[in-house]
Amino acid sequence: MAAKSDVIATIRPFVTSRTFDAPRALVWKVWNEPEHVAKWSGPKGTTITVSKLDFRPGGTQHYCMHTPGGDMWGKLYYREIKEPEKLVYVTTFSNEQGELTRHPLSETWPLEMLTTITFVENAGQTTITIEWIPINASETETKTFDENRAGMTGGWSGTFEKLAEYLATQ
Amino acid sequence: MATDQLSATFAALADPTRRAILARLTSGAASVTELAQPFEVSMPAISKHLKVLERAGLIARGREAQWRPCTIVASPLKDVADWVSHYRQFWEESFDRLDEYLTELQRKEKNRGRKK
Repeated sequence: MAAKSDVIATIRPFVTSRTFDAPRALVWKVWNEPEHVAKWSGPKGTTITVSKLDFRPGGTQHYCMHTPGGDMWGKLYYREIKEPEKLVYVTTFSNEQGELTRHPLSETWPLEMLTTITFVENAGQTTITIEWIPINASETETKTFDENRAGMTGGWSGTFEKLAEYLATQ
Repeated sequence: MATDQLSATFAALADPTRRAILARLTSGAASVTELAQPFEVSMPAISKHLKVLERAGLIARGREAQWRPCTIVASPLKDVADWVSHYRQFWEESFDRLDEYLTELQRKEKNRGRKK
């Protein structure tokens, strides 16, 4: 649940989901316990270290993603924890000290994003759905997010697909 | 890549006509007249779009006085593609790894069960 003063952007969120062949209780555990998170989170070639974890509504997580291109720090502010079905937190970029920072490559990327993750079990399988929406964002930030949502989900228009094909040959 | 450059690239890509121009240029250099043909807009309007693309470093204009062919410059586009695909890559690859990890955990659990 978002705090009362929060303003959630009135645009389409970024949504991605995947179904796993595992029961929900296990998926929840692996998703939230740092020793498990370290085993899978982030693209190949990266590792995630959770430097601070206070897993409760109102608590935070401060983590570092080690990538070949350098370290990237981020912070999660837990809003709702409903084991084993729902997790809501605000995600931001941060520095090593845990202070909020801008996206390293975009000054207009929303500072805060509300992340809602649901875990739905069906016949021993669990579907995780992640939804991202800017929160307390300026008009420019909302626009930046809105314009890039397609690229994040892989739904670029035919034009961009053509460009991507071309880029692949470069 | 500098943030300003990335913003300029995004701004240039925000317009459908400019994206269509870039798509056309992926199949080779073209003159302004050739680029204007598929669109129902004036030549000055096309020239304006080309100026935006050129300023963003997405196209280059030839020096030949007569038809100054336009060509696409790939590198800023590549940076944009890398940047926006970062999120997709983050979740897709995390999901792939999570899938493998869950399979491994459950296999171990099963083996332990059998030994009992």
